[in-house]
Amino acid sequence: MLAARRALTRRRAALAALVPVLVLASCASDPAESASTTPRDGGTLVYATGDAEPSCLDPHVGGNYPQALISTHVLEPLVGRDADGEILPWLATAWEVSPDALTWDFTLADDVAFTDGTPFDAEAVKVNVAHLQDPATGSSTGYLALAKVAEVEVVDATHARFHLSEPDSALLESLSQQWTAIQSPAGIARGTEANCAAPVGTGPFVVESWTPQQQVDLVRNDDYTTVAPEAEHAGPAYLDRIVWRFIPDAATRYAALQSGEVHVIDNPQPDAVASAQAGGDITDIDAPRPGSVNRIELNSGQAPFDDVRVREAFIRAADVDPGIETLYAGTVTRSYSPLSSSEPLATSDDSLFGTDTDAANALLDAAGWTARDGDGYRTKDGARLTLRFPVSTNQSVAAEQSLFEQIQANARSVGFEVVITPLDLSGWYGALAADEYEIVSAPYTKVGPDVLRILYHSDGIIPAPSGYFANHAKITDPALDDALDRAAATTDPAERAALYAQAQQTVLEGFYLLPLYDQQNHFLSRGTTGIRTLHTVSTPTFLDTRLAS
Amino acid sequence: MTALTTGPALSPVTGRRWSLGIAGAVALAAVLLMVVAAAWPALLAPGDPDAIDPRAAFTAPGPGHWFGTDESGRDVFTRVIHGTRQSLGIGAAATAIGVSIGLAIGMLAGLGPRILDSALSRVIEVLFSLPSLVLALLLVAVMGTGVTPTLVAVGLATAPGYARILRSQVRSVASSAYVEAARLEGQPALRVFGRHIAPNALWPLVAIATLGVGQAIVWVAALSFLGLGALPPSPEWGAMVNGGRVYLVRAWWLTLAPGLAITLTAAALTVLGRRLGRVVQA
Repeated sequence: MLAARRALTRRRAALAALVPVLVLASCASDPAESASTTPRDGGTLVYATGDAEPSCLDPHVGGNYPQALISTHVLEPLVGRDADGEILPWLATAWEVSPDALTWDFTLADDVAFTDGTPFDAEAVKVNVAHLQDPATGSSTGYLALAKVAEVEVVDATHARFHLSEPDSALLESLSQQWTAIQSPAGIARGTEANCAAPVGTGPFVVESWTPQQQVDLVRNDDYTTVAPEAEHAGPAYLDRIVWRFIPDAATRYAALQSGEVHVIDNPQPDAVASAQAGGDITDIDAPRPGSVNRIELNSGQAPFDDVRVREAFIRAADVDPGIETLYAGTVTRSYSPLSSSEPLATSDDSLFGTDTDAANALLDAAGWTARDGDGYRTKDGARLTLRFPVSTNQSVAAEQSLFEQIQANARSVGFEVVITPLDLSGWYGALAADEYEIVSAPYTKVGPDVLRILYHSDGIIPAPSGYFANHAKITDPALDDALDRAAATTDPAERAALYAQAQQTVLEGFYLLPLYDQQNHFLSRGTTGIRTLHTVSTPTFLDTRLAS
Repeated sequence: MTALTTGPALSPVTGRRWSLGIAGAVALAAVLLMVVAAAWPALLAPGDPDAIDPRAAFTAPGPGHWFGTDESGRDVFTRVIHGTRQSLGIGAAATAIGVSIGLAIGMLAGLGPRILDSALSRVIEVLFSLPSLVLALLLVAVMGTGVTPTLVAVGLATAPGYARILRSQVRSVASSAYVEAARLEGQPALRVFGRHIAPNALWPLVAIATLGVGQAIVWVAALSFLGLGALPPSPEWGAMVNGGRVYLVRAWWLTLAPGLAITLTAAALTVLGRRLGRVVQA
């Protein structure tokens, strides 16, 4: 069925007439659909998110996960991706790369229009790339992803040619993300304020209104014609509307799901996940995010973590395993890799992360942190061994914050003072920009192992136009830079894998980070059918979703 | 508030009845116990409030852990006891700030020239138009989160109340017969103030301030509950209630224990405050 639909997608023009027939056939033969609760068309799905409310709905601006979550319903990228990592056609139906890997020719869907009536064409692609690369846009994620695109040439309406400044083995993966999704040029031309309030795309839903601190209202795009990858039916979505509510408190969100007030929630508490997995009328969708693993990064750009011995001491003292086990009710696995377990090229080394407080104490003594003050913290030249730890309360669940408190207690036993400061998202970005941190947890979601270049290449210390920089560990290692550059440029898969393995080992052995577990990305749903998550950035799409009557 | 609504104390400081009654005595004992917990927490709970033991997480209340353990295996009883210093201390400090400012404004308004009185009274009225907790939230928003801003915010937010009470108290005492008699005797103004006005005007404030400490503890806990006050892993009661709220279904004791501590402290201080108020009037 999957293979058939992909073949269909590639030859969509010729076979378009057959689509409704195939879909009807698949619906009728699917036993799940004829279960006790018959799904119905129409209706309003209420989604409650615990992620931070974006300050701008246009994912080109900045570029974080909350923006990707909402924009999945409104904007579509050029390409998709399946569970095995293979790139699928979406707004671009075919592509070809030149032998020198510097020119990419994309063939675009010819019967798609934006919801404001603007046709989707090569000019729109050019405008979008220019928008992402314009410093005035303030893009970080999309900007970094397309850093090697020098120019987009409009060959004709349905053919766009990407000229690269250097070969980029991650180009298609970069273009599959919501942060590089294509928006209406007319929509972009309205200016940042209007486009932030209601970006215009080709997606199955349209932003109707946004009530800050409360909800975003989305209505169905009745003229939806895109053939989306892995979609189970052609044409517009079944739902009439989506109400996208902001409920920051996890317990309130879960209670709203249990009472039937909302249909889908994200960021559930681990015990809610555990009980959904045990059965009942709540379904758990586990969609770990691609890219980096959830980890704590050590700022090696300033004292005390400019000394590798102090970094190792912290990692040897943190002792996170018992906490991960109990706080997550056994729903997560400890990671020893910088990359998500969903990345085929991830490598692990658990030998570096064993807990050893004696070794930690010896390392700190050797590093000169020998004196202790009245509170039992180590000092050197009168300065206390303090680690500032800004925590974004929007981005981390209670279990994670408890884990951070445990790390704080464990680090104290060898003489570290860890100061945890809970901050809202803007305060947290501010603390990072001002370099007011020694440790930070900042998961980075990106499709493919190229995320290593974003996070650990010395270029990542230079802030993007938005002010955000991704190399929080402040690693400046020419050998690492070289390996990452070559991995991004090579066309040989074996060489790429070897270089990324080398880069990961360098990062792990330098004690720049403490890997914890995959970026948890669970969605709990109740009274719905047909929710699936994209295999790009793991956001759910409601194109095929219906409410149980 | 009782002391205010039942009228100012007009009798001179003589022959008070020092009887608190049974409820008052129990409340006094409870408050003294809390003072002990605040001053020497290790006497009641020798453990370390921040010591974790993940493998013993979510242990239900029982022998060994009177109030159970939290999500990191920390002993909740130890944390509640060690949190007393912070909760009670912040409450008392906030009240001290509020009373001091209220004292200055109230005295000036009550005894100063008429223009100063009307000016200060308008300021008090404007501040009164905002509910105190809202005013405190506003101040925290301006000054930033943390213990010190919270303390100052609650102190400033309660100051108008004390100022108004003190102003009317000072005015009624100043116009009472025994003060007039003292004046007519030719006693110097400062002596009249120190000997007659101050003691009689301030004594009712002791009762009101005692009530106020209970109130301030609740407000400080409220701000910490909202994540604006004490920082983790501080065992401040409001912060503990907030932390435990997530696990309400799984581990009720995480919210109940600090919640009870807040309630009992506020109740004890209220009862004590009211009893003191009656002593004042006797």
